Amino acid sequence: MLMFKIAFRNIFRQKRRTIFTALTIFGGFVLAAFSIGWADGSYTFIINMFTRNRLGHIQIHYKDYLNQPSIYKTISNYEEVAEKLDDMDHIESWTPRLFAAGLLSLHDQSTGAQLTGIQPEKENQATRFRQKIIKGELFEKADHKTVLGKGLARVLQANVGDSVVFISQAADGSMANDIYEVCGILESGDSMSDRMAFYLHLQDAQDLMVLYGQIHEIAVIVDELGRVDMMTDRLRDAFTNEDLTVEPWQEFAKSFYHAMKADMEGMWIMLIVIMLIVAVGVLNTVLMSVLERTREYGLLKAMGTKPVQIFKLVLYQVNILTFFSCLLGIALSIILNYWLSKDGITLPNAFTYGGMEFKHMYTTVNLRSILLPLITVFFTAVIVGIFPAIRAAKNDPAQSMRTH
Amino acid sequence: MSDTMTVIKTENVKKIYSDNGLPVKAVNGIDLTINEKEFTAIVGPSGSGKTTFLNVISGLDKATEGKVWLNGKLISEMSGKELSDFRRDNIGFIFQAYNLIPVLTVEENIEYIMLLQNVPKEERHQRVMDILEDVGLKGFEDRKPPRLSGGQQQRVAIARAMVSKPVLILADEPTANLDSETGAELLDMMRELNQKHSMTFLFSTHDQMIMDRATRLVILKDGQVDEDRVKS
Repeated sequence: MLMFKIAFRNIFRQKRRTIFTALTIFGGFVLAAFSIGWADGSYTFIINMFTRNRLGHIQIHYKDYLNQPSIYKTISNYEEVAEKLDDMDHIESWTPRLFAAGLLSLHDQSTGAQLTGIQPEKENQATRFRQKIIKGELFEKADHKTVLGKGLARVLQANVGDSVVFISQAADGSMANDIYEVCGILESGDSMSDRMAFYLHLQDAQDLMVLYGQIHEIAVIVDELGRVDMMTDRLRDAFTNEDLTVEPWQEFAKSFYHAMKADMEGMWIMLIVIMLIVAVGVLNTVLMSVLERTREYGLLKAMGTKPVQIFKLVLYQVNILTFFSCLLGIALSIILNYWLSKDGITLPNAFTYGGMEFKHMYTTVNLRSILLPLITVFFTAVIVGIFPAIRAAKNDPAQSMRTH
Repeated sequence: MSDTMTVIKTENVKKIYSDNGLPVKAVNGIDLTINEKEFTAIVGPSGSGKTTFLNVISGLDKATEGKVWLNGKLISEMSGKELSDFRRDNIGFIFQAYNLIPVLTVEENIEYIMLLQNVPKEERHQRVMDILEDVGLKGFEDRKPPRLSGGQQQRVAIARAMVSKPVLILADEPTANLDSETGAELLDMMRELNQKHSMTFLFSTHDQMIMDRATRLVILKDGQVDEDRVKS
C-alpha cells in the first residue's frame, strides 16, 4: 500500500511528462479501439451486404450440389424443410430458389442468362429484393413476368413492358422455352450477377424446367452474423438424414471469405505499430523518471526497502498511468465507435468489394474493440516498464546517494 | 567502560576501489570501537575515507577486507537481504541533502521505516507525534517537504532516523547545507536527543561546529585513523 501511495503521487511530480505519456497511451488505445471497431464494423457491414443481398448466411442444397451443380440435384421435399426452418429460433427468414442457365433473346439480341426462380415474398423478406428494383415492379404471382438484372437489360436493350424469350433444356430433356414480359429491372449492387440475372416466379421456373415442386437452394438469413456457425451446426443436425448439405457463407463464398480474412490480418500489423508507439512513450518516461530518482531509490534501499518493493513501486507507476489512460481511452472509444456505428462515415470515393459497391462504412462497439487494445496497451506498458523497474531495484544505495 | 555496550566494532577494515584499473585504498585498515550513547565525529579532509567508512559500517558498501560488527552482529558477512533488514531495524540515516521523499507528508516520511517494520498504525502515529514534538515540528505533520525550510527538512530527517529507535544514527555532513545558526540549533537538538534517548550518534564531517560538540573525535587521514580523541 505504501509503495502504491508513493507510486500514485510520483505520477503527479512531473505533470507535463505524465500528460505526454498518458496522451501517448490514451492515443494508442483509442487508435487501436477505433481501428478494431472500424474493421469489425466494416467487415460485418460488408459481409452482411454480401450475404443479405443475395447469397444468405447459410445455404441448403442437395448433397454435393455446391461442388458440382446440376439441374437434377434438387431438394424435392423443400416444404418439409421449410416447416422445420420456421420452427427454429434465430432464423430471420429463408427463401427457396431454382437455378438454370439458358439463352435470353429480345428482338435480334441474344445473350446467356442465369435463371433464378424465386418466391417473391420470401425473397423480399430474405434479401430485400423489392428495394433493388430500380424500374418497374416485382411480379406478385406466376403469370409469365420477369425481372431482369440491370446489366442484362442493357445488353438486350430491354425495357419494362418488353417480351423476352428464354431457351434452355428442361430436366426431362425437352426444349424449355417461353415468352416472359419484363415487369422490372433490378440493380443488386453486384454488377457481375446483374449482367446475367433473369428472375422468374418459382412456379413459372418449375413449369419451364419441368421441376415441379423442386428447388436447388434454400438461402437462410440468421438474425445475427455471429450466430451463423451455431445455426449451421443446428441445421446440420436437423437435416442429417435428408441428403442435404448445409453450408455457411464462409464455405459457399470461399474467395470472398479468404479475401476478408486476409484483409483482417492487417489489423495485427496495426496493433504492433500501436505497441511500438506505446512502448517508446512509456519507456522514455519511466526510464527518465528512474534516472531522475536514482538518489531517492538509493535512499529507500538504505532505509531497508527491499529491491522487490522498489521494483513494484516503478511498475505500480506504469500501471496506474496506463490504467487511467486506458479508462479515458475506453470512454472515448465507446463514444466514438457508437457514434460512427449510427451515423457511419461517407466515403469520399465509393469502392467495390466482391462486386458490391460501398459508399458508407460503419464502426461497431464490441468487447473485442475494448479488450484487444486493453491487453495490447497494458502488456506493452508492463513489459517496457520491467527494464527500468529492474534498474531501479538493482541500484547501489551507496553510489546512488552520491548522485546529484 | 566495562558495563557499556559496544555498538560498532571494526577490525582491520579495508575498502579498495579500482580507478581506471589502479587500486585506490579509500579505507586502509581501520580498527575502531564505538560504544553506546557516544556522540562521535569522524573527521578528516576530503578523500580521507570518512564517507566510505560510514558506508562500510552501515552495510551500504562491502568492505574489501576486515570485519564489521554492529550491535554484536557481524554485518560484513551478511547477505544483501539480511543487511537490508538489519539496516532497517538498527540504523538511522541523516544525510547532507536531507533526502526526504518529496511526495510524502512529514508524518508519512517519518513513519516510512515503521511501515516497513509493520508497526501498528496507532503506535506509529503516537511515535511520530512524540518525535515531532522532540524536533520542534508539531503541527507540521501534514506538510510535504518542498514546503519546509532546509532546517525544518533536516529536523524531519532526524525524526525519521530516530523514530524507529535504532541503535545507531549515522549522520553524513548533516549541517553542510544549512546556515551556521540553523546548523548549531540542530546539533544542539541532536545532542539533547542523544542524551534523552541514549542513542549513539556517529558523524562524518569537517564542520567545526560538530567537532566542538562531539564527545569523541576520530580523525582519519589517508584511510587510516590518525588520531582518536575522547573529549572530557
